[in-house]
Amino acid sequence: MKDLFQYTAGDSVIHKLNPLTRILLAVAVCAAAFVSDNLYYLVGLLCFDMLLGLLAGVFGKALSLLKGLLKISIFLFILQILFVRKGNRVFWIITDQGLILAAKVVLRLMIACIPLALMLAVTQISDLANALVQVAHVPYKYAFTVTTAIRFIPQFMEEMADIMEAQTARGVEFDTKNGLKKIGMMLPLCVPLLVTSVRRTDAAAAAAEARGFELRNRTSGYKKYPFHWCDLLAVLVCAALIAGAVII
Amino acid sequence: MISIESLTFQYEGSTEPAVKDITLNIEDGGFFGIIGPAGAGKTTLARALCGIVPHHYKGDFYGSVTVDSMDTVDSKMTDICRVVGMVFQDVESQIISSVVEDELLYGLENYGIPHEEIEERMDFALREVGIEDLRYRTIASLSGGQRQKVAIASVIALRPKVLLLDEPTGELDPGSSRQVFGLLKTLNEKYGITIVVIEQKIMLLSEFAKELAVMSGGSMFCHGPVREVLKRARELEEIGVNCPRVASLAQNLHKEGLLKTPVLINVDEAEAAVRRLIS
Amino acid sequence: MILLENVSFGYGDDSSTVRDISFHIERGEFAAILGANGAGKTTTAKLIDGLLKPTKGRVLINGLDTAKTRVSERARHVGYLFQNPDRQICKNTVREEIAFGLTAVWQNAGEDAIARRVDEVLESFGFSGDEEPFSLSRGERQRVALASVIAIRPEIMILDEPTTGLDYRECTHIMDTIKTMNEEQKTTVVMVCHDMEVVASYATRALVMAGGHLLGDGPVKTIFRDQELLKRASLLPPQIVELALRLGPGFENADTVEEMTEAVSARAKRKGAGV
Repeated sequence: MKDLFQYTAGDSVIHKLNPLTRILLAVAVCAAAFVSDNLYYLVGLLCFDMLLGLLAGVFGKALSLLKGLLKISIFLFILQILFVRKGNRVFWIITDQGLILAAKVVLRLMIACIPLALMLAVTQISDLANALVQVAHVPYKYAFTVTTAIRFIPQFMEEMADIMEAQTARGVEFDTKNGLKKIGMMLPLCVPLLVTSVRRTDAAAAAAEARGFELRNRTSGYKKYPFHWCDLLAVLVCAALIAGAVII
Repeated sequence: MISIESLTFQYEGSTEPAVKDITLNIEDGGFFGIIGPAGAGKTTLARALCGIVPHHYKGDFYGSVTVDSMDTVDSKMTDICRVVGMVFQDVESQIISSVVEDELLYGLENYGIPHEEIEERMDFALREVGIEDLRYRTIASLSGGQRQKVAIASVIALRPKVLLLDEPTGELDPGSSRQVFGLLKTLNEKYGITIVVIEQKIMLLSEFAKELAVMSGGSMFCHGPVREVLKRARELEEIGVNCPRVASLAQNLHKEGLLKTPVLINVDEAEAAVRRLIS
Repeated sequence: MILLENVSFGYGDDSSTVRDISFHIERGEFAAILGANGAGKTTTAKLIDGLLKPTKGRVLINGLDTAKTRVSERARHVGYLFQNPDRQICKNTVREEIAFGLTAVWQNAGEDAIARRVDEVLESFGFSGDEEPFSLSRGERQRVALASVIAIRPEIMILDEPTTGLDYRECTHIMDTIKTMNEEQKTTVVMVCHDMEVVASYATRALVMAGGHLLGDGPVKTIFRDQELLKRASLLPPQIVELALRLGPGFENADTVEEMTEAVSARAKRKGAGV
C-alpha cells in the first residue's frame, strides 16, 4: 500500500508532460466523472484511467488501486441498491433504477480516486513544487508546505505499519476481522505516531532552513518546466473529456 | 575557524541549560570528534556551531560562537550554514526530494549558485562521495548507507569550509560506518574541509579523528588530541564513555610496567607494540 | 525450542529476502545473528517471532508452527524488543505502559495478578511508575520497552539491534538485564546486533548471514576467528580478537582485554628472563 505514493521513475509520455498538466489531467477526469450522467461514458472514463496508468508505465499500481477501491465499492453498491426504491422491481427489493444509480456512484468514486494517485506516483514532489512556483507563480512557502505534506504521507504510513507491527509483537491482535474493533485498537497508537511526526517535521524544517529555504525564489530553479506540444495535446484531451461529459 | 566562548544555552520551555559554559576552539582543517553519554549536550553544541541554535531553536543564549569571524547570533542563519554544512542525525527528515539529483540541486538552487556552475558542483559532490551511479535513482530505492552518502553529497556540493555531522553512522553496519569515515578523511585531507563529527563509536573516532572533545551532563569534560584524551580511559568509563579495547589493553600493559605511554589507538599500533614486547 | 526448517521469505533481490535457512536453538541459549545491512537478519528475527510467515519451509516455536499460531498465543511465549522504543510505547505513564502489554497477553489473569506483576517489574527496573515515557531519554525509553516485554515472562526474547542509539552505559544496563534473565530464568535469547564487542561480551552462539543466506553457525569464539567467513559477510572481528589473530601462535585463547594482557605479560616476562 505504501509504495502507491512512492515516485516511480520513467520516461513515458506522461513523465514528459509538465507537472501542472498532469495535475490538470487528473482534475479533468474527476470533473468529467461528476458532470457525466451516462453509464457508458463513465465506463469509458474508467477505461481512460487505466489507459493513463498504462501510458505512464504504472499499470500495476493502477490495478492495485482498483483492487483496493473494490471493497468499499461493493459496500457502497449494496447500500445503494437496498435503499433506492424507485423503478421496476428486478429481484426481491432491488429495482432497475437502483442498480443503475448504484453503478454510477461506484464508478464515479473509482474514476475520481485513481487519476490523482496515479499522477502523484509519476510526478516528483519537488518538480511539482518547482512548477507551481515557476509557472503558476505560487509563493515558494505555500508550495513547500503542500509538497512537504504529500512527501510525508508514505513516511507516516510506513511509520504506522511499523508501530502496528511492534504492537502485534506484544500481543495486540490486529489481525481481527472486526473493523470497528481494529479502529479502536489503532487509536492509542496515534500517540506514538504524533510524537514521532512532530519531532520529524521540526527536524525537517531545521534541515531545510540550513540549506537556504528562505533564500529560494522564483528564479532559483535549475530545471525549467516549459510547455510542449504534448502538453497542448493533453489540454485538448481534458477539454474533450469534459465536453463529452456535458454533451453525452 | 570556529571559536566558542563560554557558551551556555537553555531551550525555551526547558528548566535546565542543555549546554553549560563550553569553551572550545576548532582549528581550520581539523578533524574533530565529539563524544559523550546521552543527554550530554552534543546535539545542542552542534546546532550552535551552525547557527540553528539560537535561530531555529530559540532559547536563552549566553557567551558567543564565532564562525569564520561571524558572530552566530548577529549573523543570518543561512550565512552561517554556508560555511558550516550540517548533516543531521535523522537522514530521513533531512532529505527533501525523491530523486538523488534533485536533492543535490536543492541547496545549490537556494543559495543562488550560478546555473552554469551547478553541473560542475554536482559532479564534484557525486564523484567525491562515490555515488555517481546513483544520480538518477529514487531515494526510496537506496539503502541506509547510500542515503547517508546522498545527505553528505548534498551538503558538500555547497562547498562548506566545515562539515558538521550528527551521529552519521547511527543506523549503519560496521562496514558502511567505516566507509563514511573513510570518506570524511578524504574530504579532510584532499580538500582541507574541517570535519566536526558527533559519534558514539569510539573505535572509529580514535582511528580517524585528530582531536576529541568529551562532553558530559552539558559540560565539556575534556578535550585535546585523541591520544591525550584516551590516556584518561578510566575516567571516561566512569562518565559512561567506553574506550577502544586496545586502549584498555594499553592501560593494563602500562600498569604492568610493560608500556611507557598508556595509549594505543588502533590494532596496527597494538600489534607493533606487542611485537616489540615479546620478540 | 526454536526450529527453522528450510525457511525462505520474499522474492527477488529485495533486501528483506531470506533464502533456505535452517537452524535449531535450544532453551537457554544466547544466540546472535550477525551480518551487514540487508543480509536478512531482521527478517529472520521477525520470522522467528511470527510477525512474518515464511513463503517456504516452516518455523516451529515449542513445536508450534508460527503460521498457524494466534498472535496473542505466541506473544505469551516470545518477547520482541525493537530498535526504536517509540514504536512500542503508547501510554502516558510507565505503569500503564507495562500493564498494557500484560493485559493484551495474560488474558485470563485477574487484575490483581497483573497489578502485582507490574509492581514487581517497576521495582526491579527502579521506575516509580508515574514517569511519562516521552519525557525520558532514549536509553530510558528503551528500558521502559524492555520492562514491558520482560513483564510477560517470555521464554524467548528477540532483540533487534537493542543498543543502537544508546550510549555505553545505557547499552550495558540493557544487556546486563538480558544476560541475567538468560542465566537465571534460562530465557532463550536471539539478538540481531552490529556491535561486535557487545556480541563478544554477551552472546555464546553466532549465526552469520549474508545476502539472505546463512553462511556460518557456531560458538562466538570460533566464528570470530574464522577470518574467511567474516570477510564473506563483510564483518570485522572485535579488536582484541583481530590483534590475537595477527600475533598468531600463543594467542589462540586471548579473546578479552584481560586474557590478552595476561598472554602478553607472560611472554614478555619469559623474554625478560632471558629465554
